[in-house]
Amino acid sequence: MSNAIIPLLLDSLASAALIFFAAVGLTLVFSVLRVLNVAHGSLYSIGGYVAASVCLFIASRQLNPYLSFVALLFSAVFVAAILGPLIERSLVRWTYGKSEAVQILITFGLFLILEDLQRLVFGVQSLYEDSPMRLLGTSSIGGVVYLNYQILLVAMAVLVVVGLRLLINHTRLGRLITAVVTDREMAQSIGIDTNRIFILAFSLGVFLAALGGALATPTSGIAPGLGADTMVLAFAVAAIGGLGQIEGAAVASLIVGFARVLAIYLVPSLDAVAPYAAMLAVLLIRPYGLFGSVTARRI
Amino acid sequence: MRIILAAAAVVMLAALAFAAPWLQFVLTLAIAKGFAALGVAVLLRAGLISIGHAMFFAASAYGAAFLARAGINDLGLLLILSVLVSALIGAIAGSFLVRYRAIFFAMLNLAVSMVFYALCAKLYGVTGGTDGLPVPIPAVFGIVFAEPVFKSILFYLSLTLMVLVGLAVHRYLDSPLGHALSAVHSNEIRLEYLGIPVWAVLLIAYTISAALAGLGGSIAGFAIGRVVPDFAFWTASGHLVLIAVLGGIGGVPGAFIGALFLELLHSAAVTVTDAWNMFVGITLIVVIMFMPQGIYGLFERKEAQSS
Amino acid sequence: MAFNGISIVFARCLSLLQLLFRLDRGLPPANRRLVVDGLAGALAIGLVATTPVAAQDKPSSVGLGVFTFTSGPAAAYGMPGKNAADLMIDEINAKGGIGGVSVTATYVDEAQGAQGVIAEYRRLAGDAKNQVMVAALSSATCLALAPIAEQLEVPTVGWNCDTHQLLMDGKSKYVFRPNGNTVPEFIAYAIYLLDRKPDVKTVAIINPDYAFGHDAAKIFTAALKALKPDIQIVAELYPKLGSPNYQTEISRLTTARPDVVFSNLWGADLENFVRQATPRGLFTSSQVILALGETVLQRVPLPDGVIVGVLGDGWWMSPDAKANPETVKFAEAYKSRFGEYPVFPSIKMANTLIYVKAAYEAAMQKNGAKWPTRAELADAMKGSKVTTLTGTVQTRADNDGLVDQIVGVTVKTSAQPFPAIGDMVRYKGDSLLPQAGQDPLAWISTLKPEFAKGLPKPGSYKIGER
Repeated sequence: MSNAIIPLLLDSLASAALIFFAAVGLTLVFSVLRVLNVAHGSLYSIGGYVAASVCLFIASRQLNPYLSFVALLFSAVFVAAILGPLIERSLVRWTYGKSEAVQILITFGLFLILEDLQRLVFGVQSLYEDSPMRLLGTSSIGGVVYLNYQILLVAMAVLVVVGLRLLINHTRLGRLITAVVTDREMAQSIGIDTNRIFILAFSLGVFLAALGGALATPTSGIAPGLGADTMVLAFAVAAIGGLGQIEGAAVASLIVGFARVLAIYLVPSLDAVAPYAAMLAVLLIRPYGLFGSVTARRI
Repeated sequence: MRIILAAAAVVMLAALAFAAPWLQFVLTLAIAKGFAALGVAVLLRAGLISIGHAMFFAASAYGAAFLARAGINDLGLLLILSVLVSALIGAIAGSFLVRYRAIFFAMLNLAVSMVFYALCAKLYGVTGGTDGLPVPIPAVFGIVFAEPVFKSILFYLSLTLMVLVGLAVHRYLDSPLGHALSAVHSNEIRLEYLGIPVWAVLLIAYTISAALAGLGGSIAGFAIGRVVPDFAFWTASGHLVLIAVLGGIGGVPGAFIGALFLELLHSAAVTVTDAWNMFVGITLIVVIMFMPQGIYGLFERKEAQSS
Repeated sequence: MAFNGISIVFARCLSLLQLLFRLDRGLPPANRRLVVDGLAGALAIGLVATTPVAAQDKPSSVGLGVFTFTSGPAAAYGMPGKNAADLMIDEINAKGGIGGVSVTATYVDEAQGAQGVIAEYRRLAGDAKNQVMVAALSSATCLALAPIAEQLEVPTVGWNCDTHQLLMDGKSKYVFRPNGNTVPEFIAYAIYLLDRKPDVKTVAIINPDYAFGHDAAKIFTAALKALKPDIQIVAELYPKLGSPNYQTEISRLTTARPDVVFSNLWGADLENFVRQATPRGLFTSSQVILALGETVLQRVPLPDGVIVGVLGDGWWMSPDAKANPETVKFAEAYKSRFGEYPVFPSIKMANTLIYVKAAYEAAMQKNGAKWPTRAELADAMKGSKVTTLTGTVQTRADNDGLVDQIVGVTVKTSAQPFPAIGDMVRYKGDSLLPQAGQDPLAWISTLKPEFAKGLPKPGSYKIGER
């Protein structure tokens, strides 16, 4: 088993990166809007579908294959620009200040609609476009061949954590968001356009969800049902890290990733249980998550 | 007036199943889900939303399957025991879950139920994995009936239980314990100052709601003849909350009205389209936005106007 | 005032119900009168539920309930089945239908779960027009529907339903499976592997986490151990059905360094696994067996030398298939309509419909060209032997089907842009099955290494040899 330690750690990192991308948007939206978006998983898979479709188009037209990297990013922006404002204005805005039950149910309704819409638009066959993965090649580490794309994903995840932190602490938009998070009424009364902030923040969340789906497509196909599975995983990670905690989500992704990989290596029959068992264990000790607290609305 | 209406509705259901036999299965299932949604609605009274009650639904059905395998072969006994199983699990889980509120309560319920789901799906040797376990047809008072007769018995039993349990839950919600639930929702601290142990109030409610979900689960198990892990998946829990809200959490009939509405909508929609989830989603959003009291609220409002 | 509101709601409910009633066409109007007669004899409902309508006159059209996955991850396997059913039914109708009666199909999506599927089955069975159910793809659905089929006395033909547990008790009257089951399907791979690589020592398994995956692993392992007792299983992974990502599993398989990797992943899962495992060298470091590999041949570039098969004889390019003009025509029509050649789930579905049609014809021949009842149809299926697109299917006494098993390895050909299957073997259906009523796993453990000696060898199934 000792020869498996390096692969075990690398696999944990690689799967943590994927898990982080599934969860970060959910936790960001909660931190700003105080809404738990149950449709988050669907936005993730829509991002994946759009990215895969665009990449397939690029491949079919035999354009420069490196364009597909641009396409991954651009699809996420595209999904966010269309769906973000649309969903925020039509549905999510209506739930502000309402009880959690209402928020969860409205977004659950949205989830049901989006899942069927995807089926109608993209069909039921799985979509798969792996040219970005193949372009980057492989590296052999510790006797196991890894995809360079997996390493790129880890780097991207780190980039997103750092980027979000910079955005929130060091830009004007970030300060406005912080102000709204800290005290909504006060922010409004000093003339901050909270509506705009909400649209921006929600769209940013949609962007992160879609980006997660888009970045996952080259290594894992997109098929119906992905949204529901992603959703619970994102829940688990967000809850472990503390709802609304971005660094918390990063740490939680590492925990969940490690738990899953360990299970696959040692007790393969328990791999699906691992994320939820980890979530339950953490929540029993720290019900508000590792980084969460009841009162502070730190972002 | 209301009693006459409720009685009329029950008679109508009985007649409906009689007229369209295949509908009998759908109606049995609707009542089963109604019980579970009622359980969810009890907790919603206290402002607690559980996205995990499908766990108790499934636990009870699995309980019935295991007990039947262990040699217990009586409908009444199996129903009682499997409901006790889910009530017991509910009491244990509830003892720590009811300390939490709002979103944390919802997420913890989700976590527990997903662990349960994953275990059911994974422990292939014990639970049959995703193929699930058969729930055989038990004897009724020592008599083994043929399958169609048993299903009819089950339906009329569910209908009877719906009335009896519905009345009991109505009494419970109208008792001081029940009123304390609404008080938890509106002002929990005041309740503490009055010397009412909130923890105990909620634990009782949680156990009752788990038992209700369990009752629904075992009825569904008998009706379907099989229990699969999907019974406990989080979307199933979501549907239970959806039913409760759709019907209106204001009163006991709401849960059953919601369940009947949804099951009949499903039956009608699947014949036209695959995308029936979209119908349900749109209905849900419309009901929440424009009919905050649910479908049952329509009755209530008219009642209020007339009196 | 309250009454107004309520009557509105009731009226709405009733209009909804009316819609449902209209759908429930099979119900004789007399039953509706019963309601008026009162609720006496309420328990007699069960009697109403069964509709053994003696439809001896030819109907204007005959309905089939076809159960398959049209959504969810399993649709990757279910949709080729549905496509084939559409095409086959069109072909049957173009030739005048069954005995002059045109065929229509109602599709039921198995992805809605056991309860929805059962409700739909009961609804379709309530309509006397639907005489036969083609159900279903997933073993879980088949296991759930089988008792209802027996009770409602509706001939139910499993078009896929691989589990060997389905007909194990041998008491089925109305449930048929003109198709292989997991036992011959996976023993075939063990025999083929040992013929091709006699010195294999270590095997790793990665199967989907449900009955099909676990049963296959059990049967394959038991057969290997019986035929070559020193074989070791070094890893057994059961990822969740519908997992998009297998990177960790691939690392785990690589670190175990097995001679052979066996998998019965299928649909989108198989495609994902192949695409993720190929660049990471799994196909070069181990001999890979993909039991359902044929389904992805046209979609992913599989390297040469991968052991694949079709869980039966349903390969559209097999020598038998190529020799049958009907099959060639079907494959070309499929390609022009759906953009791809049929995969073996399509062939399984098409063969099942041929089986159903044959049952109608046999029943009508027997009863003097009258339109058959459900019971007569079931009778006609019993013990029948039907020529399909790709071979024959013989129905045993326990209603299980005997079909041949084709296994081979992927080879590149110049004839087409995707790999074909070469070095093929075609095992006779009855040679890999225990007698009816015998416990298959117990039977496998009694096998001796000599068992494989009498069977055909890889490469023995070639064009021109039947």
